Amino acid sequence: MHKPASITTRLQQPWWLGVAVILLGSVCLFASSSLTLSARYSAIGPGMFVALVGVGLLLLGVLLLLQMARGTAFDDDERALDPGMDKGPFFTVVAAAIVPSLTMERLGLPITAAIAFMLVAHALGSRRGALDIIVGFTLGSACWLLFSWLGLQLGGFLPLAGV
Amino acid sequence: MDTLSLLLQGFGVALQPINLMWALLGSLLGTAIGILPGIGPALTIALLLPITVSVGPVSAFIMFAGVLYGAMYGGSTTAILINTPGEAGSMMTALEGSKMARAGRGAAALATAAIGSFIAGTIATMALTFAAPAVAELAFIFTPADYFALTVMAFTSVAVVMGASRVRGFISLFLGLMLGVIGIDAMTGQPRMTFGVPDLLDGVELTVVLVSVFAVGEILYVASRYRHQEEEIIPIKGRAFMTRDEWRRSWKPWIRGTAIGFPMGAIPGGGSELPTMLSFTLEKNLSKHKEEFGHGAIEGVAGPEAANNAAAAGILVPLLTLGLPTSATAAILLVAFQNYGLQPGPFLFTSNPELVWGLIASLYVGNCMLLVLNLPLVGVWVRLLYIPKPQLYAGILIFAMVGIWGVSGSVFELALMAGLGIVSYVMRVYGFPIAPLLIGMILVPLAENQLRTALAAGQGRFSVLFDSPIALTFYVVAALFLLVPWVLAKLQAGSQATQD
Repeated sequence: MHKPASITTRLQQPWWLGVAVILLGSVCLFASSSLTLSARYSAIGPGMFVALVGVGLLLLGVLLLLQMARGTAFDDDERALDPGMDKGPFFTVVAAAIVPSLTMERLGLPITAAIAFMLVAHALGSRRGALDIIVGFTLGSACWLLFSWLGLQLGGFLPLAGV
Repeated sequence: MDTLSLLLQGFGVALQPINLMWALLGSLLGTAIGILPGIGPALTIALLLPITVSVGPVSAFIMFAGVLYGAMYGGSTTAILINTPGEAGSMMTALEGSKMARAGRGAAALATAAIGSFIAGTIATMALTFAAPAVAELAFIFTPADYFALTVMAFTSVAVVMGASRVRGFISLFLGLMLGVIGIDAMTGQPRMTFGVPDLLDGVELTVVLVSVFAVGEILYVASRYRHQEEEIIPIKGRAFMTRDEWRRSWKPWIRGTAIGFPMGAIPGGGSELPTMLSFTLEKNLSKHKEEFGHGAIEGVAGPEAANNAAAAGILVPLLTLGLPTSATAAILLVAFQNYGLQPGPFLFTSNPELVWGLIASLYVGNCMLLVLNLPLVGVWVRLLYIPKPQLYAGILIFAMVGIWGVSGSVFELALMAGLGIVSYVMRVYGFPIAPLLIGMILVPLAENQLRTALAAGQGRFSVLFDSPIALTFYVVAALFLLVPWVLAKLQAGSQATQD
């Protein structure tokens, strides 16, 4: 359990956030370098907005780092009340969110839904894995049937079985 | 044709059996998601977007309107009975409502919330009926430079007002702008920010961002903070309806809440949280029973509940007339219009009167349905709170992936869903508001297009952006949004230093 910090304690600052914003700004500026910034017909070309966004993110990243250095970026009292991250459930849900991109094409919606459903339910405390797989499979099948009927293209029902 | 005749035509559309069915479905869904904590109207409409592609726009928007209003009604039930706001607009209701429920006056709290929502919803819809055509007429005189200035004002206000810090608000906005410029440039056909990835040539699909940010981000946050907490549900006690004294103490807060909520909803950044807070503070100051605040004052439920319903109607004014979303839910509704190839704005009133007036009329119909659904059936709705959280959130992820897979059929976009979900989680943990990201992403094509058109018309002269008084007004308002909080903070610090 995380202990709430006292008001006078300065919590560790997430410096990486400021660096990430600066990096994103740099990526935008790099991308804009291959685009024309001006155009004869309207003074600005396709690269202008991308460059503006890049400069904006760079400046904001620097501002965020400065605020962190001064200790004014985040409300320390509010952060101290945050119970903190439970890593196990978090990474289980991350896995559940990644599963569809790995299995949807090969295994189809019902099986993908069964795996993702079971993982999320497990992350949130359910310990009835078999039942969750059945519920997930049923929900995925019902969605496939209903939304295919409504006209959505959801791929094969069970591609491995050729269905 | 005058407004009343157009409204009557709208009722002709809204009262068709099929549209009544969609309004009922939207109201049921809205109430249900309002009651379930953590699932708001924005997430629901985002999840419904891909599914409604096969439904006509009139029916879909009538359903979305039911979801929007229903969520405001349902949110109060959770706020009162488990002291957890079902959606952001019910935050203040939880303060006094849950105290009333604990004191055995839960039924009266639910009744004042439902009746207040009905009254506010109806008055605000009347205001929308007459204000929207007038604003739409005004928008006809806007030039591209004015529209660009309007988007600058929307960007600034949303980044400043939403969230605890201006820097984080602007970072969120610029992330949205960055996502919005990815893809082929509409004017020159050049790919931008695609880095050779063919899947990015069409840009980042808005539906993918909406579903990822609201559904996956929310599930990640809940999973990482949940720790299997049990919520205590307070049983509904007390007389089924309000006493004469409770009526007397409620009607003025309902009216004042409506007067605050409707205009605040129409202002960029106003949303539903700010008007409810203002209404609560006002009622606390005006109440003759100040000592009851903190122990279950009915005014503290009546005012904020009216304010959040009125704000829900208010957001439709700039959305329908100018194509300007003022909150995350409005941003999603704008995406829904774009999914049907429609662009909200002054021309929508002339090109699609059936849709606009059918939608407005359906708000009156939906309000009546919601009063009937919420007042006598509240005991049935409360049962939704017993759905186990693990299975509820697992189901939400299934709907999210069905939506993305159904719309795009792309594995890349499913992977993007996971990536954006993690970004949204980080934003939530560190207090970066989500609405500026969405509004930035949605409005950047409009802003860039209008800027280029204005400059082309002015033969590359940048001063063309400041020629019109309308544009200048928008820039001044944007500057005020930016500077006023800073000046106020300086003044406050100065007066504190003098006191010390």
